[in-house]
Amino acid sequence: MPMLAAAGFSLVLLIAIVGFVALATYNDVVALLQRVDKAWANIDVALKQRHDTLPNLVAAVRDVMAFEQTVLEDVTRLRNAYDPDRPITEQGQLSTETSRAIRSLFAVVENYPTLRSEANVLSLQAEIERLEGVIADRRELYNDQVYRYNTRVAQVPAVLYAGMFGWVRRDSFSATEDDRVKPDVGLRPA
Amino acid sequence: MAVDLTPLTIASTLGVAFGLALLAKGMAGQRRAARIGDTSTSTISALAVGEVRISGVVEPAELLLTSPIQSRDCVYYRARVSESEGRSERTLFDEERAVGFRVRDASGDVRVFPRAAHWLVPEAFSAGTSLLGDEPTGLRLREGGALQPGFVDRASQISELLTVHDRSAPDASIGDALVGHLGGRREYREARIEPGDLVTIIGTVLPFDQLEDPTGADAQTGDGLEATGAISDPVVAADLEEARAAGSLESDPDEAWGNAAIPGFGIGRPVRPPELDGAATPLPIATEAEAVQIERTFEIPAETLIVSAAPDSGLLVSLGTPGIAVGREEDRFFVGLLGAILAIASAVVLATSLSRGIIL
Repeated sequence: MPMLAAAGFSLVLLIAIVGFVALATYNDVVALLQRVDKAWANIDVALKQRHDTLPNLVAAVRDVMAFEQTVLEDVTRLRNAYDPDRPITEQGQLSTETSRAIRSLFAVVENYPTLRSEANVLSLQAEIERLEGVIADRRELYNDQVYRYNTRVAQVPAVLYAGMFGWVRRDSFSATEDDRVKPDVGLRPA
Repeated sequence: MAVDLTPLTIASTLGVAFGLALLAKGMAGQRRAARIGDTSTSTISALAVGEVRISGVVEPAELLLTSPIQSRDCVYYRARVSESEGRSERTLFDEERAVGFRVRDASGDVRVFPRAAHWLVPEAFSAGTSLLGDEPTGLRLREGGALQPGFVDRASQISELLTVHDRSAPDASIGDALVGHLGGRREYREARIEPGDLVTIIGTVLPFDQLEDPTGADAQTGDGLEATGAISDPVVAADLEEARAAGSLESDPDEAWGNAAIPGFGIGRPVRPPELDGAATPLPIATEAEAVQIERTFEIPAETLIVSAAPDSGLLVSLGTPGIAVGREEDRFFVGLLGAILAIASAVVLATSLSRGIIL
């Protein structure tokens, strides 16, 4: 009789451990999903802030930069293309293109001493640069969170019941193909 | 059915209980490891409101603590002194305390308010008296108070250098606890987080004005430390008692603080002009760098983001990088699994001894 009790105790303990691991994994994946969604929502906030600030910068420099309309049009076009309902990969590409257009605009502004001395332009430029930094940092955070989630749902034991709960891979907020090309800085051996 | 309480029965019962306790601790460690490991590290300059993981170097904010057993400057300590004699053991001193601090990474810094934090800090000092009663190497009991300013200006440093301190006796809070307990072998244990240490924190980011009761945001447990505020410091409380007994406490705030007692003098606008005493020696004006440092230390704008515990999500502070913190907690889980094996083995031994009537 005591041996039977010991066997029952061992069985209950093993079931408890397996149950704990299964339940903990389920909770971990749900928490990971929440973190991925939150990380994306935080990027979205920064993208929206940039979207709202860009027209002020364009308006501030438009009159002086009469001969640089292409740069301004690029920024305006990409800014207007912002749509928070698009798929994440598309938004990622659009955001990278917008950042590149903004960098071009800042480079052109450097050629206009009158603009560089205007407090309004400087503060807008500083704000957009801050937002660009925030977007870059939060993109990195989002991608890392997606990586953790994708890794977890591909591992045992989560992979065993991923289908049951509809856990599928999430897309990263990745760079475009253009960004992967190394810049040609013009350095050649003599 | 009568059960013979043989040594083997008792040992195997204890083995089951101990194994289950280890398993429970291991499961808790696994949950903490998952919480740390499944959260990505945010850069401090890009923090957003909500739960985050940050990792960086500790810097003092307004105050620093002095650890009781090794007298090291720190922002958190957990200290315990126990005495054992024969089979009996008793705790002479047990205290855990933390003050607010900053964490800095490559992008910036953020304040951490540690109330209700869970600390994962291994012991930095663990030693006992020798068989001959000699104190362990590295023991340096605290002299003076537990709290000290986190930022010390030049004038205060000069004043400190010119002040003669009585170093003959340890701090009352730990000294009193050890007086009269010199018989048995003592064990000293101390864990702490010092300025310059690398920590990993999981907590909730929120604007400073949404922090409930910022003045009570430090953490402290131990004899005489339950109350909040400056009076909870035993040294301050003793000084107050002494001043009260000597009759040197002013009854009127105007007499005690002068212009500083004018409503609005420190915060907002004073309600009447201050009375200037021409004969008074003016204090040296702070340098620009000192002024910036003081403002950064004591003036926190309402919208500044800080890290603290939230009602639905606790604050976890772990010494070391995220990888080290996760590794430590996962080790606990493996120890917990060994505990399960111990519990099962003990149960089998218990069952065997009960069924066969083995007596050792």
